Amino acid sequence: MPHFDQTLDVKGAKCPMPLVKSRKAISELPVGQVLQVISTDRGSVADFQGWVKTAKNVELIAQETVQENGQELYVHYLRRTA
Amino acid sequence: MTFTQDQSTVTEISPRELYARLLSAQPLFILDVRNEDEFKRMPVEGHATLRTLNLPYYDFIEDEEAALARLPKDVEEVVVICAKGGASQYVAEVLNNHGYRAVSLTDGMIGWGNYYDTRDVVNASWGRIVQIARPARGDLSFAIISDGQAALVDPLRHINVYRELIESAGAKLTTILDTHVHADHISGGPALSKETGAPYYVHPYDAIHPIDMLPAVIAYEPLRDGQVFQIGQVRITTIWYPGHTLGQVNFLAETPDGGRYLFTGDGIFLRSFGRPDLGGKGEAWTPILYRSMFERLPRYLTDETVILPAHFSTLDEDAGNGIFAAPYKQVLSQNDSLKPRSLEEFTSFVLSHLPVFPPEYVEIKRVNIGLVEPCEGKASELELGKNICALAE
Ligand SMILES: [Fe+2]
Repeated sequence: MPHFDQTLDVKGAKCPMPLVKSRKAISELPVGQVLQVISTDRGSVADFQGWVKTAKNVELIAQETVQENGQELYVHYLRRTA
Repeated sequence: MTFTQDQSTVTEISPRELYARLLSAQPLFILDVRNEDEFKRMPVEGHATLRTLNLPYYDFIEDEEAALARLPKDVEEVVVICAKGGASQYVAEVLNNHGYRAVSLTDGMIGWGNYYDTRDVVNASWGRIVQIARPARGDLSFAIISDGQAALVDPLRHINVYRELIESAGAKLTTILDTHVHADHISGGPALSKETGAPYYVHPYDAIHPIDMLPAVIAYEPLRDGQVFQIGQVRITTIWYPGHTLGQVNFLAETPDGGRYLFTGDGIFLRSFGRPDLGGKGEAWTPILYRSMFERLPRYLTDETVILPAHFSTLDEDAGNGIFAAPYKQVLSQNDSLKPRSLEEFTSFVLSHLPVFPPEYVEIKRVNIGLVEPCEGKASELELGKNICALAE
């Protein structure tokens, strides 16, 4: 698990909310810090990859899938770069 | 802007309404807000009057003004589409706030992919022939209903569509026919048979997986060349047509008024024909297909025989009313791939027109003879995207 500074829990939130909330959280994060986003939306994996390609100040450091109580969690690590 | 999914006031368009718009060939603008890979794998397709732009929803979240600037200037009305119907609501709301008239497709591509369209090909005193289409995939299936009896040809996976159709016609399902064991989609035949007790017929050559060389474990009745089924006043004759698969058959339905309707499965299509390589033996099966096409089938065909295939490749193949069928004479005139060729010419034509071989097609054939039983999620994943059963044009 990469190092992170803050956590955003968007379990249960459906597309587009994981990304809407992550964008907002990144904007409030000090430059250089890492945000961990925990989602149950499988589509978020590909969408976060697509988003960071053109996003202004976001870098996707890692993504992982973990099991928790029988459900899959999709965890993203985003760094604010500027 | 504040936004919550539950309180969205965005107007929705149902898959049924979308399909009517696509068929009408009126100008239509679709904004597909899925990521690029999803969009490329399965876009919504229509006539030449359809314009589509792929602009992922996260581009609107990242920089709303920049995303809006990429929309064509002459567009007022926009149908917004995403994977499940959430992100499209978000983007449609953004558009509406900027003076567009935007609607969001209900349930997104899931809703579109699972949408079935049912319409009569013929409705006469002897009964009906009904086309049941799954437009997103270009899949076509048929019901023949006469005197309270019903037969199905190539039923698709969502079997309640057929149950409801037959029930509302006041008929009983007596015969389930598959023209072949499909590679591109999961057949509804075995499940319907299990549920209704009506026998499921498929040719025994297709009851062996062509790559695994393993026999079917589903219950089926073996079809034979020349076998006749009587459905009320309609007589259905089985015509063996090997090539796309070794056990591919056509079904010729003859009606009391002299009508001839040929269900060709993945034999001949309206603008193409079924590829001979999906069993992994394209070289060996191409000459077999050649003989089926140019020697076996012609003796059953008249100019007026209506061709009803199991697939369309583009909406342009419809006769203007959502029916994908045409008299043989017309098919010949618009289908260059059917023109007479020597075996050598035919073989090189096939080789130069083979599209990609979707890897999941091997697995779908396993599902269709019961070698694997996927859950709902896996089944719909296997069926993502449009069929690639035809040679490329
Ligand atoms: Fe097919």
